[in-house]
Amino acid sequence: MQLVINALIAGSLAALIAGGLALVYGVLGVFNLALGQMVLVGGYATWWLYQSLALPLVVSVFGGVMIGAIVAWCAFEVFVAPFYKRHRFLPLVTTIALSMMIDGVLLLLFEARPRSILANAKTIVALGDARISLEQMFLIAITFILLCLCAYVLHSTVIGRRIRAVVQNDHAAMSLGINAPLLHRMIFIVSGMLAALGGVFIGIDQNLTPTLAFPITIKAYAAIIAGGKGNLWGAIICAYLIALIEQMVVGIEWFGAFYVPAGYQQSVALLFIILFLLFKPSGLFMLKNRSA
Amino acid sequence: MKRASLLGIFFILLSACTGGESDNGPIKIGYIGPLTGDAAAYGVDTLNGVKMAIEERNAAGGVNGRMVELAVEDGRCTGADAASAAQKLVSVDRVTAIIGGQCSGETLAAAPITEAAETLLLSPLSSSPDVTEAGDFVFRNYPSDALKTKAMAKYFAEKGWKRVAMLSENTDFAMAFRAALTENLGKEAVVFDEVVEPGTKDFRTLALRLKDVSFDVFFPNAQGDAVMAAMVEQMRDQGLTQPMVTHDVGDSMTLVDLIPEAVSGMQVINVPSAGEGGEFETKYRAKFGDAQSTIAFAAHAYDAANVLMDSIAKVGTSGPRLRDALYDLPEHRGIVGRFSFNADGDVVGIPYVLKEFRDGKIVKVKDIAVD
Repeated sequence: MQLVINALIAGSLAALIAGGLALVYGVLGVFNLALGQMVLVGGYATWWLYQSLALPLVVSVFGGVMIGAIVAWCAFEVFVAPFYKRHRFLPLVTTIALSMMIDGVLLLLFEARPRSILANAKTIVALGDARISLEQMFLIAITFILLCLCAYVLHSTVIGRRIRAVVQNDHAAMSLGINAPLLHRMIFIVSGMLAALGGVFIGIDQNLTPTLAFPITIKAYAAIIAGGKGNLWGAIICAYLIALIEQMVVGIEWFGAFYVPAGYQQSVALLFIILFLLFKPSGLFMLKNRSA
Repeated sequence: MKRASLLGIFFILLSACTGGESDNGPIKIGYIGPLTGDAAAYGVDTLNGVKMAIEERNAAGGVNGRMVELAVEDGRCTGADAASAAQKLVSVDRVTAIIGGQCSGETLAAAPITEAAETLLLSPLSSSPDVTEAGDFVFRNYPSDALKTKAMAKYFAEKGWKRVAMLSENTDFAMAFRAALTENLGKEAVVFDEVVEPGTKDFRTLALRLKDVSFDVFFPNAQGDAVMAAMVEQMRDQGLTQPMVTHDVGDSMTLVDLIPEAVSGMQVINVPSAGEGGEFETKYRAKFGDAQSTIAFAAHAYDAANVLMDSIAKVGTSGPRLRDALYDLPEHRGIVGRFSFNADGDVVGIPYVLKEFRDGKIVKVKDIAVD
C-alpha cells in the first residue's frame, strides 16, 4: 500500500514533466533538453515569490507557473522557433545551450545551497498503515486533474482537434486555415508550465538544488521513449510505471531472500525499459503515426 | 584518464612557454574546491575563508614583502575535475602550494599530481581516512574520520545503542565514513545498511523497509545537506522516532531552513563550531554575508591559508622545505584552536563535540574525548 503511494508520488511528478515533453515531441517533433532547467525555474521562482516576497502560497505557485510560461515562451522564440523548421534536430543543440545558461543563472541568483518552498512539517495523514502528507495528496490529485483536462482538451474540443490535425500533417492543416505556428507556440508554453508546476512540487515535497535539472530530463526522456516516442498517454503511463518499478525494486524482498541494494534502484528500472525495448522497439504504446 | 593525461601534456607544453618564477614577484597559491554542484556550499565558504586570510595578509604587507595571489579552480566535488584542476595549477599557474580539495574525493584525486610535482596540498575540509595515506606532501587541518567514527562508536556505546541503521550516499567521503564506522561498531551492530546513488532524494520506500527493522539509532550519511534533508524528513514522515546522529554534513543551518521540525533533536558529532559568534564571524559576515554551510568551514580554510603563508614566510617557496616546515611546526594558533601536524600530515589538536538541533539552533551538548 505504502509502496503504491510512494510510486504515485514519484510517478505523478514524473508524469507531469514527461507529459509536457511528450506533447512537445508529438506536436513539434522537437526534443527539448532544457526541460529539467524549466522545472527548476518554476520551483525557484515560486520559492522566491513565497519566501523572499512573502506572497501567499497560492499566488506564489501561480506566479511561479506563469514565470515558467514566460521563460518557456522566450525559450521558444529564441532557441526553438528559428531552427526547428529547418531541421527538427537543431533545437537539440540549441536547447542544450539554453540549459547551460539557465543552470548558470540559477546558480548566480539562488546560490548553491538547497531551498525548500514549504519548510514546515507536512501534515501527515494515515491511510490504514500507509502514511501520506496532505501536500503529496494535492500533488497526486492536481496531476490527475491536469491529465484529465489534457485528455478533454485534446479529444473533445476544437483546439484539440486542430492540434491533432497539426500532428498528422501540419502543411495540410495550415492549408485548411489552422495557424500551426501558433499552436506550436502554445504547446511549448504549456509544456513549460507543466514543467514549472513539477518544480513547485519538488520544492514543496523535497528541496531544490541547482544540479537537479539533468537527472529530471533523463527520467522524462526514459518515460517518453519507453512510452512510444511522442505518444502522450504512453509517456504518462510509463512515467508511473518506471516510478512503480523503482519503488518495487528496493521495497520488496525478492524471492523472500534479498533486497536489491538501493544504489541499483534507477539502474534496474532503466534496465527493465531497455529489455522491454529489445522486444518491442517501438515502445509500449507506439501508434502508426506520431500522435499527441 | 586519457583526457586527463592529454590535458597534462597540453599544460606542460603551455607552461614551457611561460618562463620561470621570479623571486620578488607575487607568490601564487592555488585553491581547489566545489564551486558548482551539490557540494558548492562548502566550496564557497572555504574559498571565502582563504580569500579573507590572503586579503588580510596582503593588506599587512604580504609575505616577506611579496603579495600573495590566489588561483582558483572548481573541483566540483569530483575526482576527475579536481585532477585536471590540480594539473593546471601545478603546470600552468605554477603555484607554490594548493589549499584543497574540500571534498575527500577531490583531495584524493589531486594528491598524485601534486605529489609528483612536489607541491604542497593542504586540505581544510577533507576527512576521509584515506587522505592519511595520500602522500608526503598532503596535509590537512581537518581531523580524519578514522577518529570521528571512533568518537561516534564510543558515543553509541555510552548511550547503549547497539543496533545502528545507516543510509549512505555513494561518494568517497560518505563511503569511507561508512566503512570506518562499521569497523568501529562491528559488523553485527549495523542492522540496516543501504547505499544510494549521489543526489537521490526519494527515500520513502527505504523508510518503509526501515519500519520493519528494529534499531536504536539512525545515521543519515549524506554528502550534502540537500540529500540529508530529504533523508531525515522522509524518515520522520514515516513515523520513525528513533534518535538520529550524524557527522559534519549535518552541522548546517541550512537544515533548519529546509526541515525545521524534522531535524529538531538530531545530534551531530563534529569539530567545534570554531569562529562562531566571535570576531571572525563578524568580519566574515561583513565581507561575504552568511556562511552557506557553517562558519567553521571558513575558519578551517582561513587557518589553512595562514599556516601556509606563515611557513612560506619562514622557509620560502620550495615545496620540500615547506613540507618539512609543516611537519616541524610546533603549533599554530588559529581560529579553530591550536594545532600541529603528525607524521602522516594529519592534524593534531582538533577536538570533537556533540551538538544538537534545538529550537532552530545548533547547540553544543558536550565535548567528546577520543584517545
